[in-house]
Amino acid sequence: MTDTLLQSIITGVLMGFIYALIAVGLSIIYGVMNVVNFAHGDFVMLSMYLSYMAGTLLVWDAVATPLITVPLLFLFGFITYYLLIDKTLRQLYVVQLAVTVGLQIFLRSLALIVWKAQPRALQYSIIQGNIEIFGYSILTSRLIAAVVSLIFIAAIAYFLNKTWAGAAIRAASDDLDTASLMGVNYHRTYALTFAIGAALTAVAGGLLMSFQQTDPQGGMRFGVLSWCVMALAGLGSLPGLIAAGVIVGVAEAVAVTFFDPRSRLLAIYMIFILVLWLKPRGLFGRK
Amino acid sequence: MDIAAILKRNWGWFVLLLVAAVLPVPLQKQQYTMVLLMLIVLYAVLATAWNIIGGMAGQLDLAAGAYLGAGAFTTGTLLLRWEITPWVGMFIGALVAVLLAVLIGYPLFGFKIKEVWYALSSLALCEVLRVIFLMWDEVGGPTEVYLPTAVSPLYSMRFTTATPFYYILLVMLVVALVVNFRIRATKLGYQLLALGEDEDAAEVLGIDARAAKLKALIIYAFICGLVGGVYACFYGYLHPSFFDADISTEVAIFGIVGGMGIIYGPLLATILLVGVRELLRARLGGGLEGLYLVVYAFVLILVALYQPRGIAPLVSSVLQKFRSALTPGKKEASWR
Repeated sequence: MTDTLLQSIITGVLMGFIYALIAVGLSIIYGVMNVVNFAHGDFVMLSMYLSYMAGTLLVWDAVATPLITVPLLFLFGFITYYLLIDKTLRQLYVVQLAVTVGLQIFLRSLALIVWKAQPRALQYSIIQGNIEIFGYSILTSRLIAAVVSLIFIAAIAYFLNKTWAGAAIRAASDDLDTASLMGVNYHRTYALTFAIGAALTAVAGGLLMSFQQTDPQGGMRFGVLSWCVMALAGLGSLPGLIAAGVIVGVAEAVAVTFFDPRSRLLAIYMIFILVLWLKPRGLFGRK
Repeated sequence: MDIAAILKRNWGWFVLLLVAAVLPVPLQKQQYTMVLLMLIVLYAVLATAWNIIGGMAGQLDLAAGAYLGAGAFTTGTLLLRWEITPWVGMFIGALVAVLLAVLIGYPLFGFKIKEVWYALSSLALCEVLRVIFLMWDEVGGPTEVYLPTAVSPLYSMRFTTATPFYYILLVMLVVALVVNFRIRATKLGYQLLALGEDEDAAEVLGIDARAAKLKALIIYAFICGLVGGVYACFYGYLHPSFFDADISTEVAIFGIVGGMGIIYGPLLATILLVGVRELLRARLGGGLEGLYLVVYAFVLILVALYQPRGIAPLVSSVLQKFRSALTPGKKEASWR
């Protein structure tokens, strides 16, 4: 009993780091630009398909595919920003919702056309087998995915805190007007933010493809999941996002192991609703 | 009020209603067209009801699918277990939807959950119910539960064509529109519009935001629940996928694209967008699966980007020019 519990907690923690990575992307988009991106989960879906393509065409390992998909998603985010998001900045959030739902429908149907409806998975990975730690077996692919996620979150933290572009993003998030007066070009800063948010989903997509499959409807889960992690964490705290990701991952794993495999989403939504009711600013929020 | 006066003031609506009522006569034989018309009216009822909570009160509700599903499952289960006619069952279903709305709305509005967070938690309600019904084998479960034809097709609302359903939903559409106009003219309507403009300012002025929003949510959930009963009878089975997040977002999109708070906006947007989508499906459906949705997504994005206040203001300004050309020297108030 305790063994199964610990085993599922470990699985959940490892998944949680990937969830945190996805949520970091959403969080900087929402936190900095105040843009409601309903298509974020579908960015993950798109990334997973691109990883699938890179993996099958070049016979690369899933973990290596972000080398190709990250630039692609960065470019995709950049173009999406200038084509769509930039025009909605001064509009009501409902317009942003309508536009990003349109983007969502577009990405899903595009995936349906290009890759058809059946789920796709990469066939093999050089990372195989389990690692035994204190008698608990851990899938190596998941361990590596978790470690890579943490590295990327740390890299984002470094970028935001130590570089000029990162400082510009933080300044725009705090006070856009003052930042503009200080010489921050907010179109460019926002475009960079949106592109980074999209590029982070490419990293997560590659990692997820090393042990999961994807289908055109798969974006929904990651979308709500990342909003849930963000609600739990509150805005403006990267360690908070990691903690929130881990909580969501563990809750999901425990629900699957002890209750019902179908209750995976239920656990996430329950946490989401409870957090909104009881801690609307999140557990670790700055604002 | 004088009936002649009402007729004279709203002649546009009555002409529209007359056209809608006569439309099935020449199209009776074309099954596909009738189903399409029925679906347009179904979405129009939901979107028009959404206008109360979304358009007027400014609460971006994405739980239409949840209330629709609650209505559908209640109506269907009552027919299945106790042979209660859906004509009664759908009202019980609507009440169940209202109960659900109060259960979720009371704490949400109490905790001042707004904007995107309200949208997401209402969407979560829809998904939670879907998963619960997927696991609840007595009522739902992963396989379809087929509805019986008890007593007679009329009694159990099991018609073989879409036409009767079209008329039932058309009546609901009229009711939903009338309810919209009635609310708009009452104190509640002004309160909701104030909340939609600026919630904090409205509260400072002494509006009980929670009570007003809850009333709007209850009316909206009731209408969605009613539609749910008809929905179940039309499809002839129950399935957890009735708690549909896609329907929920689509209904909200129709409300937004139509023009927030404009009563005929959602109706207009539904006719245009569902019309475009189905036309594309008919034209492009034979080729690539999903291509029509790509084009549909483009249309949606373009409308949202270049007509952010909705298509209804565009139409009403054209109408107004038309009217002022007919009656020179007389300024008409906006149609809102």
